[in-house]
Amino acid sequence: MTRRQVRRIAINALGVFTIFAFAFPVYWMASTAFKQPGDIQTYVPKFLPFPPTIDNFTTAVNRPFFPDYLRNSLVISISTVLLALVVGLMAAMAVARARFRGRKSFLLLVVVAQMAPFEALLIPMYLVLRQANLLNQIPALILTYFIFTLPFTIWALRGFIAGIPAELEEAALVDGANRFQAFWHVVLPLLAPGLVATSIFAFITAWNEFLYAYVLMRDTANFTLPVWLATFRTAFGTDWGGTMAASTLFTLPVLVFFLLIQNRMVGGVTAGAVKG
Amino acid sequence: MMVEGQAETGIEPVLARPRRNGAPARGRTAAVAARRLLRYLPLLPSLFAFLVLLGYPVLLAVVISFQKMGLRELVQRSTVWIGFENYAAILRDPTFWAIAARTVAFTAFNVALTMLIGTLVALLLGALGRWLRLALSISLILAWATPALTASVIFQWLFDSKFGVVNWALTSIGIAGDYTNHSWFATGLSTFGVISLLIAWQAIPFVAFSLRAGILSIPTEQYEAARVDGATDRAIFRRITLPSLLPLFMILTFLSAIWDFKVFTQIWTVRQGGPAGETVTLAIYAYLKGIAGAQYGLASAVAVVMVVLLALVLIPYIRMMLKTQDAL
Repeated sequence: MTRRQVRRIAINALGVFTIFAFAFPVYWMASTAFKQPGDIQTYVPKFLPFPPTIDNFTTAVNRPFFPDYLRNSLVISISTVLLALVVGLMAAMAVARARFRGRKSFLLLVVVAQMAPFEALLIPMYLVLRQANLLNQIPALILTYFIFTLPFTIWALRGFIAGIPAELEEAALVDGANRFQAFWHVVLPLLAPGLVATSIFAFITAWNEFLYAYVLMRDTANFTLPVWLATFRTAFGTDWGGTMAASTLFTLPVLVFFLLIQNRMVGGVTAGAVKG
Repeated sequence: MMVEGQAETGIEPVLARPRRNGAPARGRTAAVAARRLLRYLPLLPSLFAFLVLLGYPVLLAVVISFQKMGLRELVQRSTVWIGFENYAAILRDPTFWAIAARTVAFTAFNVALTMLIGTLVALLLGALGRWLRLALSISLILAWATPALTASVIFQWLFDSKFGVVNWALTSIGIAGDYTNHSWFATGLSTFGVISLLIAWQAIPFVAFSLRAGILSIPTEQYEAARVDGATDRAIFRRITLPSLLPLFMILTFLSAIWDFKVFTQIWTVRQGGPAGETVTLAIYAYLKGIAGAQYGLASAVAVVMVVLLALVLIPYIRMMLKTQDAL
């Protein structure tokens, strides 16, 4: 064997090992979820869930309050997306298309807000929401996640809008459309992919959030899916099959959404950071 | 309020109708002023969110950090100013210093691990053939997309002392000795090890993909020119690839430092700061003092110290961000 062949084989072996290292935990979650109860806690692991069963999923879905957790998570995530999208779109449209005094300061505010360490703001947020009698209320989480996601929403939408030539709107205006019509019929259709990507990002953020949901909600019926999963020892004991089935159910929508937008995720954060 | 029936959105195309220098007709100044104000209308909801919903809590954190604020003060709505007493209390507390040092060390280790392996994976992506590269990309996306909470739960199952697949694998390989019933969560260091692995597993894909995109965006002419001049592969990597990637590398390092410094979910889900408080970091400490211990003033002081420490990384990061985003 030549040196080149040895090198090729070494690189491929490293590649296979890396593929395995990154995929295995997710595979192990899904595979445990589909295993027969007797095949999970074995001293020599069974690597294939055969014959597969959906018993673990049935167990997870039938745990007390599961429908409540699912509904809370969905209501909170979808409301967050809608709120952030409407408010963010207005601001993004303004900063991308109009020149006005204070525009740069506003963008700086967006960047700073995006960097706000929400983990450190837990205590004052808790106290403010307590003052407002919003503790243990679903709207408290919607409001919190709205602030979490708004800066990114504005920043991302501003980028997408800037990519749409202003001449298109001008042409519509020349043809007698008013500004709203120009926006509705010209900008919005072109912006659709950007809107989808941005809302998926906001949805994932809200869907995954744990700390605030854990602190702000007190009644079990108001928990979200992450809070439920975090207490899996109480909820499932040592039933790893049920725990992994619940984790799979929780992760699946995120995975699907993520695959849809992952191309845009890389560039968004670090755009323009390479010296050409 | 409507001017020319077009101001509903308050939005004005950048290139639309050059009217800057054309002075408005007499008597329309009021309309022009109104129109100018209307331009700010779409910003109002966002400004409200930033200044009130976000700004007020930030301000409150600073204010409360100078107060004695516990459950009693909260219920009685009394305000007890105590100056720098909260800060003095935490700075006097040797536990706080231990936790702060631990948090910095934990962050530095995670960032180094993430950046090192992330860079290697980025280079590996370039070196692999088409199919293995696709497979690697998919498995990286799987790790990246997994919610932090799910990952924390999965890793506890992987590292379970009795039936965990990791203990079985290590025992079977045999080099490291017998890991049957080995408990990974018995000591702070070992627990941190699992948490770091879990954080790196999720953080590496983003770093690897970003660096890979960075490498691909380096103009190929530069490589060709270097080759024509007779540069070796190694020289090309050191003289072209590395310098071009430096700004991106810095940004990724800053971002990882910010994320890892304030991480809560993974640490809390794995062992709630245990065993015996050995994996308590500043974020966990603030939670334990503030929410669990109801010492809001003290916890706010901890939060302010956290933000000050973060600012050391944040400020250069934001400056770099603004510099690279030249067309604000």
